Amino acid sequence: MTQPLLRVEKANTYIEQFHILQNINFEVQKGELTLLLGRNGAGKTTTLRTIMGLNPATSGHVFIKGEDITSTPTYKIAKKGIGYVPEDQGIFYELTVGENMRVAMMHEDDATKERLEWSLELFPDLKKFWKKPGGQLSGGQKQMLSIARAFVNETDLLLIDEPSKGLAPVVVEKVIEAVEKIKDHTTVVLVEQNFYMANRLGDRFYILDDGLSVHDGYMKELNENEELKRKYLGIG
Amino acid sequence: MELFINLAINGIAMGMLIFLIASGLTLIFGLMSVLNFAHGGLFAWGAYSGVFFYVLLDNFWLGLLGAIVTGLLLGWLTELLIVRPVYGNHIRQILITLGFMLVLTEMLKVVFGPNIINAPTPEMFQGSWMIGDITIIKYRAFIIAVGLILFIVMYSVLKYSKIGLIVRAGVMNKDMIQALGVNIKLVFVLVFMVGSALAALGGALFAPSSGAIYAEMGLEFGIFAFIVVIIGGMGSIPGSLLAALLVGLANTFTAYYMPILSMVVTMIIMLIVLIFRPQGLFNISGVSNK
Amino acid sequence: MMKRLQTSTWVYLLIAFVLMLLPFVKDDRWFLFLMIQIFVFAIFAMSYDLLLGYTGIVSFGHAMFFGIGAYSVAVTMSRLDSTFSSFLLGVVVAVIISGIVAFLAGVLTLKLKSHYYAMLTLALAGMFLYIAERWRSVTGGNDGFTFRIPELPGVLQDHRNVVIYLFTLLSMVLLFFGMKRLTESPLGRVLVGIRENDQRVESLGFRIMPYKVLISVVSGVIAALAGVLYAVSLRFVNTQVFDIEVTLDALLMTIIGGVGTLVGPILGSAIMNLSHHFLSDLASVHWIFQRWVILFGIIFILVVIFFPNGIVGTIQKKMHERKMKQRVKQVEKQSAKN
Repeated sequence: MTQPLLRVEKANTYIEQFHILQNINFEVQKGELTLLLGRNGAGKTTTLRTIMGLNPATSGHVFIKGEDITSTPTYKIAKKGIGYVPEDQGIFYELTVGENMRVAMMHEDDATKERLEWSLELFPDLKKFWKKPGGQLSGGQKQMLSIARAFVNETDLLLIDEPSKGLAPVVVEKVIEAVEKIKDHTTVVLVEQNFYMANRLGDRFYILDDGLSVHDGYMKELNENEELKRKYLGIG
Repeated sequence: MELFINLAINGIAMGMLIFLIASGLTLIFGLMSVLNFAHGGLFAWGAYSGVFFYVLLDNFWLGLLGAIVTGLLLGWLTELLIVRPVYGNHIRQILITLGFMLVLTEMLKVVFGPNIINAPTPEMFQGSWMIGDITIIKYRAFIIAVGLILFIVMYSVLKYSKIGLIVRAGVMNKDMIQALGVNIKLVFVLVFMVGSALAALGGALFAPSSGAIYAEMGLEFGIFAFIVVIIGGMGSIPGSLLAALLVGLANTFTAYYMPILSMVVTMIIMLIVLIFRPQGLFNISGVSNK
Repeated sequence: MMKRLQTSTWVYLLIAFVLMLLPFVKDDRWFLFLMIQIFVFAIFAMSYDLLLGYTGIVSFGHAMFFGIGAYSVAVTMSRLDSTFSSFLLGVVVAVIISGIVAFLAGVLTLKLKSHYYAMLTLALAGMFLYIAERWRSVTGGNDGFTFRIPELPGVLQDHRNVVIYLFTLLSMVLLFFGMKRLTESPLGRVLVGIRENDQRVESLGFRIMPYKVLISVVSGVIAALAGVLYAVSLRFVNTQVFDIEVTLDALLMTIIGGVGTLVGPILGSAIMNLSHHFLSDLASVHWIFQRWVILFGIIFILVVIFFPNGIVGTIQKKMHERKMKQRVKQVEKQSAKN
C-alpha cells in the first residue's frame, strides 16, 4: 500500500472547553479529491484548522507524507506545500488583489510566476481587478482570489473550506470548473455542503457527525446509499 | 504673525516627538493587540542613553545610535520576558506592562541617579535661523525634519515593501498570514523592537530640546502617546501623525495663551473623540474596537 | 455550601474582634498609625477589586476617587467648622462628586475595549492632579493643608487615635461585608459572567452596560470613602492623593493579595504597608531598599505571570482542587464497592 499524502489519526481537538473533534481518522491519497461532508457544526472546518495547526490536536496525530506535523507551527506546515482556503476566504481587505498575491508568494522564482500566470488565466477577474482592494471584491471574486493565493506556491495539498457558501449558482459553476482544473495539478481536500458541487468533484468522501468520522468510501457508494445521504446530509 | 508661526513650529516639533512614541505604540497594538504601558519607559530610556552616549563619545549621532540600540534591546527583552507570557489576555497585559514601567523608571534612577540630568544641544543645531521676521530654532527644525522623514519611511515601508505588506496583513488576519507560510511571531518581535527603538529615538531627540531629563518623563509622555493613539485610531500610522500634531499644536498654543488649559486641552480633545468617534479619527478596518 | 459561608464569616468576625482589641493591648502611636493606613488602603484596594476582580475592568485612575474623597472632607471641614455635621457633609460631597465622575467615565468608555477605560481613567486622573496642583487657593497644592477634626466628648486627646483606629476598622469590616454581599448576590454573578464572557451574558438577555456602569460608580464611591478616611486619619491633605502611585498601590495590593477575593486586597494592603514600612527602614543597610518600588515591580510581574490569582486566590484554588480530588476519590471508592 502506498503511503497516504495526509493521514489524520485519532485526532482530538478542543476549542476552549469544547471537544470539537473526537477521534477523527482519515486518509487522503495523492492525486485524489477527498470530500469532507456533514452537517453544520459537525467539525469539518475544525478538521482543516487542525491540519493547518491553527487549532492543533491535543491528542492523536496528523501526518503529511509520513511526517508527524501535529504540533508543527502553522507557518511551517504551510511551507511543506499545504495551501489553505478558509471558510471566510481570509482575504486581506485593505490590500489590493495584487498585494494579496504578493504576500502569499514564498519565493519569487519562475515557477511561482508561471503558477501566477496560470491562475490569472483561470480567473481573469483577478487580473482585471489587480489594483482593487480585496475588501471590495464580490463574494465569488474573493473565493477565486483565495484559491489562487493558496495555489501560487508549490502546493502538494490544497485544503478548501466551503467554496460555494453564499455564492449564486452561476458563480458556483465557475468555482467548480476552477477546482476541476486545479485538481489535475494537486491533491485537494474539500469541505462542502453543496451536494451538487461535491458530487461533481469528489473522488472519495468522509462524513463527519458531531466531531466523529462516521463513514467513508468512494463517491459512487454514497450516491447509491440513499439512507446515508438522508441521515447525515439531509438530502434525498 | 511671527509669534503664531513660532508657536506653530514649536507645536509641530512637539507633535513629531509624540508621534515617534505613538507610532511604535500603535503598530504594536495594531499587530499584536498588545497595549504596552511600558512604552513610555522606553522613551525615557532613550533619552537617558542618548545623553549618556553623546557625552561619553562626544558625538551627537553616536548618541542617537546608542539610544536606538538601547531601544532595540529593551524592546526585545520586553517582548520576550514581559509580553510573550500573556499574549491574548488584555487585562494581564495591561497589568504586567505597567509593572514593567515601574521597574524601567526606577532602574533609570538606579543606573543614572535620581536627579535631573542636563542634556546638551549639539553645536551644529544651536541657535536659530532668521527668515524675515521669523526666528526658527535650528534644533526644532531638525526634529521636524527627522519626524517627517521617519513618517515617510515608515509609511512607504508599510505600504509598499513585502515586510510591510506582511505586517499589515498580519494586523488584518493573523491566522491567514501564518497559513501562507509567514512566521508571524518573528514578525511580532521585530515590530516590537522597531517600535521600541522609535520611542527611544524620540526620547533621545527630546532631551536636547527640553535641556533636562528625568525618570518620570516616561510616564508623562507615555500618557500623551496613549491619548494620541486613541485620537488617531489604533493601528494607523497617518492617524498617529495627525493626532500627534493636533495634540502638539493644541498644547503649545494653549500653553502660551491659556496656560491653565494646556494639560486639560489634550483631555478635552480625547473626550470629544471618544464621544463622537470612539474608533479614532483613522482606523484600519481590520482592527475592531468592540 | 451555606455552612461553609457561615464558618468563613465567623472567622472574619473573629479576626475583626481581635483587631478591635489590639489598640488596648499595644497603644503605640506608630503602630496604630500603620494599622490605620492598612485599613484605609484595604478599603481602597477592595473597591479596586470590585472593578478588576468582579468585572474585569482595569482602571488607572483610581487615585482620582481617593483624592476626591480626601479633598471633599478636608475642604468642607476646614472651610466650615470641625463638627460632626460638616464631616457628614464632606462625605456626602465626596459621594456625589465621585459618583458623577465614575458615572461619566463608565458611560463614555465601558462599551469599548478594556484599554479605553484604563486610558481614560489614567488621563482623567492626570487632569485632576493637574487641576489640584494649579488650584492652590483651595487645595494648597503640593504643600497641602492641615485641618482639625471634631473633638469627641469624653475622649482624651491621646486616645483620639484609638477612636480613629476603631472607626476605620469598623468602616473596613462593614464595607467588606457589604461588598461581599453584593458580589454574592444575583447581580454579582452577572458581573462575574461579564468578566468571563461579555457576549454570552449579553446573549442571555442581560444588557451589560448598566451593570458595568453601576459597578464603576459603586467602586468609585467606596474609593472616595477610603480617601475620606485617609484625610481624617492624617488630619492633612495634599495633592499627592491624586498621584498615579496611589492607583498603583491599589493595583499591587489587589493583584498580590488575590483578584476577585475581597480578602486578598486586605491582605495585600497589610503586606504592602508593612513591607514599605520595614524596607524603608532598611534603606541604610543597602541602597536597593530605598528603591523598593523595583522590588515590588519585579514581584508584581512575577505574580502576574506565575500566580495570576494572587495569594488568597491561589490558596482558594488549591483548597478547591483538593476538595474536588477528595470527591472524585469518594466517587471512585463508591463505584469500586458496587
